[in-house]
Amino acid sequence: MIVNAELYVKDLPGQLVGSLEPISMVDGNIMGVVHDREQIVNHRISLNVTFEVEDATQLRRLEDIWKSRDIIISSIGSVYSTFSMEYLLIGRITASYIERLMEEASQAVTVDSVDIQYSSKNHDEKRTAMISVKVREENDLDALDRFLRSACREGAITYVRGL
Amino acid sequence: MRIFIAGFGTVGQGLAEVLESREMFFKKRYGENVKIVGVMDSKTYVTDPEGLAPMDLVSRKAETKRVGSRTYSDALEVLDSVDYDILVEVSPTNYETGGQGLKNIVHALECGKDVITTNKGPLAIKFGDLIALARRNRCKLKFEGSVGGAMPIINLCHDNLVGEKIQSIRGILNGTCNYILSKMDSGQPFEQALKEAQQLGYAEADPTGDVGGYDSACKVVILANSVFGRNVTFSDVSITGITGITEEAIALAKSRNMVVRLIGEVTDTKLEVAPRLVPRGHPLAVTGTLNAAQILSDLAGPITITGRGAGRLETASAILSDLISVLDDREE
Repeated sequence: MIVNAELYVKDLPGQLVGSLEPISMVDGNIMGVVHDREQIVNHRISLNVTFEVEDATQLRRLEDIWKSRDIIISSIGSVYSTFSMEYLLIGRITASYIERLMEEASQAVTVDSVDIQYSSKNHDEKRTAMISVKVREENDLDALDRFLRSACREGAITYVRGL
Repeated sequence: MRIFIAGFGTVGQGLAEVLESREMFFKKRYGENVKIVGVMDSKTYVTDPEGLAPMDLVSRKAETKRVGSRTYSDALEVLDSVDYDILVEVSPTNYETGGQGLKNIVHALECGKDVITTNKGPLAIKFGDLIALARRNRCKLKFEGSVGGAMPIINLCHDNLVGEKIQSIRGILNGTCNYILSKMDSGQPFEQALKEAQQLGYAEADPTGDVGGYDSACKVVILANSVFGRNVTFSDVSITGITGITEEAIALAKSRNMVVRLIGEVTDTKLEVAPRLVPRGHPLAVTGTLNAAQILSDLAGPITITGRGAGRLETASAILSDLISVLDDREE
């Protein structure tokens, strides 16, 4: 799940790191941080952080750690689950083709994040793209599957998706 | 109890060995032995109403490449030449027409005989018709060995999970593809891994049925019809084989701690065979020639079974379980 949290931390050296470190402690992934030194309340600085954690249990663990470190949680908002899927596309493909394909895909479904990794070309001039996608609705995975499957069939590309 | 074995290749010979080794078991459980009264391979046959010695059949086949001394042109005439109770149909499969195996099964059922088969082609093409024919003639048609070899997937669903709503089955249903993909995990190219599989006898000289995904598709059809009560055939399955999988793709998957496996998937609406990315450590990330299947049911949740998907004694083990099931039913 992706979470946006508004925190207030003491205006002391090391407090920023001290508030972000617990996210890693619960195997979370920090996606964005805004450290607003202009917004000071009771000698505390506002920190807006967006991160991803596995589930609500991990989020509760994180909240407990923050509280134990005297970090004030002003709000926890924009919490939503994400569904991830990995795809391998194998064939005579180029990075621009894959990027165009994913751009088209994001018009059909709400894609939260896309990560693409490529292999180098082999002797057949074939190349593999590994695409990791996160979407907000489980149905979007089905729609994305249909879209990519159809595009791969048209382009004579071998299509492999996750379980 | 008299059985006729149609097909005396690897599986037929394995069954003969198993019947020999389980002689005491049958005598103790049923008070009599199971007699082989007839056997035919692709060209020859041998019959004896008093029973044939299983190991003599195996030796003769090994020495002469033939199971009998008499040749035949009509397999159905051979089946009619001796009285038997159960036909064990293990002749080579034909995915396109069902071949002689289909004719043998239909003939036996029409004659009121119980049938045990591992022959996927007839089941994938004419499942509904065969089940209807068996019902009409009050015969048993058992086919555990047709999916997953020694892995007891069909009987598990029919017996132990009979009260459950099975939501999906997905699994590795072809040991040859799994062997090739496992070898590719350690860096071998597809062609080399396939050649090795052929040298070890895991893959046929023409490997299309395995690597093209057709063998798995037949099993998907059998599961869909027998477990999900669907009425589908081979042509309803979306099939992608493993020939397009490259070393680079395997390496890229490995860098994300995943492997590629050929997965057959059946639900109420889906019939698919395709290479899929499987996380390492997942129950379906098995290696070598193993088969594995994950059954998802409404009460029990996910149940995973794994086992050897093919082989002389492994497939004979599945036939043995069907044979015992038929004999138990006859006892009641």
